[in-house]
Amino acid sequence: MAILVDENTRVIVQGMTGRVGSRQTRLMLDYGTKIVAGVTPGKGGERVYEVPVYDSVKEAKEKHHIDASVVFVPARFVKDSCFEAIDAGIRLIVLVTEHTPVYDAMQIKAYSKANETMVIGPTTPGIISPAEKIKIGILPGNMFCPGNIGLISRSGTLTYEIAANLCDEGIGQSSAVGMGADPVVCTNLVDLLKLFDEDNQTKVVAIVGEVGGTEEEIAAQFIKEKMSKPVVAYIAGRSVPPGKRMGHAGAIVERGRGSAESKMEALREAKVKVAEMPQEIAQLVKEALNKI
Amino acid sequence: MRLHEYEAKGVFKKDGIPVAEGKVAFSSKEAVEIAKKIVLPVVIKAQVLVGGRGRAGGVKFARNLKEVEEITSKMLEVDIKGYKIEGVLIEKKLNIQKELYLGVTIEGSAGKPVVIVSSEGGVEIEETARNYPQKIFSLPVDVFKGLRPYEALLLAKKLGLKGKKLLKVGDILYKLGNLYRDYDALIAEINPLVVTKEGEIFAADAVLQVDDSSLFRHPELRAKAIERIPDELEREAKKVGVTYVNLDGDIGLICSGAGLGMATMDMIRKEATPANFLETGGGMTKELMAGALRVIMKKKNIRAVFINVYGGINPIHEGAKGIVEVIKEDKIKVPIVAKALGNRQEETWGILEEGGVKVVKESRTSKAVEELFKALREKE
Repeated sequence: MAILVDENTRVIVQGMTGRVGSRQTRLMLDYGTKIVAGVTPGKGGERVYEVPVYDSVKEAKEKHHIDASVVFVPARFVKDSCFEAIDAGIRLIVLVTEHTPVYDAMQIKAYSKANETMVIGPTTPGIISPAEKIKIGILPGNMFCPGNIGLISRSGTLTYEIAANLCDEGIGQSSAVGMGADPVVCTNLVDLLKLFDEDNQTKVVAIVGEVGGTEEEIAAQFIKEKMSKPVVAYIAGRSVPPGKRMGHAGAIVERGRGSAESKMEALREAKVKVAEMPQEIAQLVKEALNKI
Repeated sequence: MRLHEYEAKGVFKKDGIPVAEGKVAFSSKEAVEIAKKIVLPVVIKAQVLVGGRGRAGGVKFARNLKEVEEITSKMLEVDIKGYKIEGVLIEKKLNIQKELYLGVTIEGSAGKPVVIVSSEGGVEIEETARNYPQKIFSLPVDVFKGLRPYEALLLAKKLGLKGKKLLKVGDILYKLGNLYRDYDALIAEINPLVVTKEGEIFAADAVLQVDDSSLFRHPELRAKAIERIPDELEREAKKVGVTYVNLDGDIGLICSGAGLGMATMDMIRKEATPANFLETGGGMTKELMAGALRVIMKKKNIRAVFINVYGGINPIHEGAKGIVEVIKEDKIKVPIVAKALGNRQEETWGILEEGGVKVVKESRTSKAVEELFKALREKE
């Protein structure tokens, strides 16, 4: 098994007819993802790679069984698209769009929680489960391989790098999830740790964190108290000067919080093996696997 | 995007939060004209987009018009922590009896705004948090309900206020909560909120930082956003469409993805120092990469350029064309080392190698960084 999705998961693409949406639909289909419909208001009746497009999620839902939605719509439409999917009864949403207003993200988070929906993102590269041949989002499939490491990352491209490093060493992933790196993300690190801890296929969990916020510190507390599986971690941004926002809106060391050192220390205190550099993750994972 | 104090005060005033009488001036002559209309003494405050200006000499008092003239002309000539002083705010000096702190910010992990108040105004809230944590009170805000007047009142009560002052501060806090939401703020802060000896209440300072991602809802601010970036290269990069942070080293850096960029910086630090952080985002084109390289090369001391990109959402083969074009047109002589993986990687490698870029076809950035170090050593 994997977390959140498996080979039977039926997916719709909100914003399928756009440049990014259509291209990523192609790549997801090629990987094996079962995409049953697309939604773009005003484009109902069209097809993208044979997949039917509807004007609304509700109409798509009437014609298809849907388990998850991936959202590529422009930032200003994100809130409405997510509310629409939640109202239509979809319980897993992968929100890829960058630059979603923080207030909108906060409202999506609150509304999704009230409706028992999991929203990954915003600004997530998505989720991939190689053995189940499914990816939802923009992660390049050729960087990942099947195995039993749960990979959670706040970054996109760094996830690819670490997954590829692991694959080079013959270490595959049960699932890999990007959390997104905005100041507010709808699914927290702890939520994902819980899922991996409960997943049969996952033996070791690797966290790829970065400066900013307090997600890793909160996760460290959870790992210390509740987590049964071994965890290894890397925190990007040790050389980031305070007060500078490093690309991700959330990647900033400010007001004395969110430094790499604080995160590394909290994780080490929770008995997490922390890598100094990303290429060391594979070695730490190997050691953890050998101890099981 | 952070607003200047005088701009933030304009917003506060419009929304019914009392601010001290005053106006912004952009020359000493203007300052004197403004001071003439206000009862002396006045306070003169540098309008600069960086914190801690008080300690850096950015807040001065003037007893007469001559002092206003002298202080202003001096202030308009200097920088504070490398930031240009855009103007000065001339305000009536308040007879301070008590200074309070009111602020709204984000509690990231909870995903909610949080209202914070303290009886210790006039110092940074982080300092109060360290020294007197018992003097800080906070309340998370429901994003749909918003901060209600009764919640604001109960929080204001924690500051030991009674009667009319309690109502007034509660009302100001309620309005600050509304303003935070209406302006898509990341931080809205009044520090200090002054209670005067005459019993009046004023916002003596105002911080309003607006979420850049929300600027499509605030066209009046959007127009100013780019010009507001203090660093020239950072401003230029923003126009190109990439995120650039000016650093003090001499290795130019282009990465797709912030996490990857930061990890790459961490690795380069082993033997060299990055001149910048540059993140392309997910909208790579030939032009964007060309623009990115040109911004980086504006620094005269660049010894080498390191490129680390992934083709997930980005067409890296298009990006490669932009890089090669600039190398040729601008006759770039410094070594360029690139690692580019993902969709259409072989095509990308071909384009880069043709253009004289050293391509590392490895999944480990650390291996590519070794190549960069090698190139630097060979140069010496």
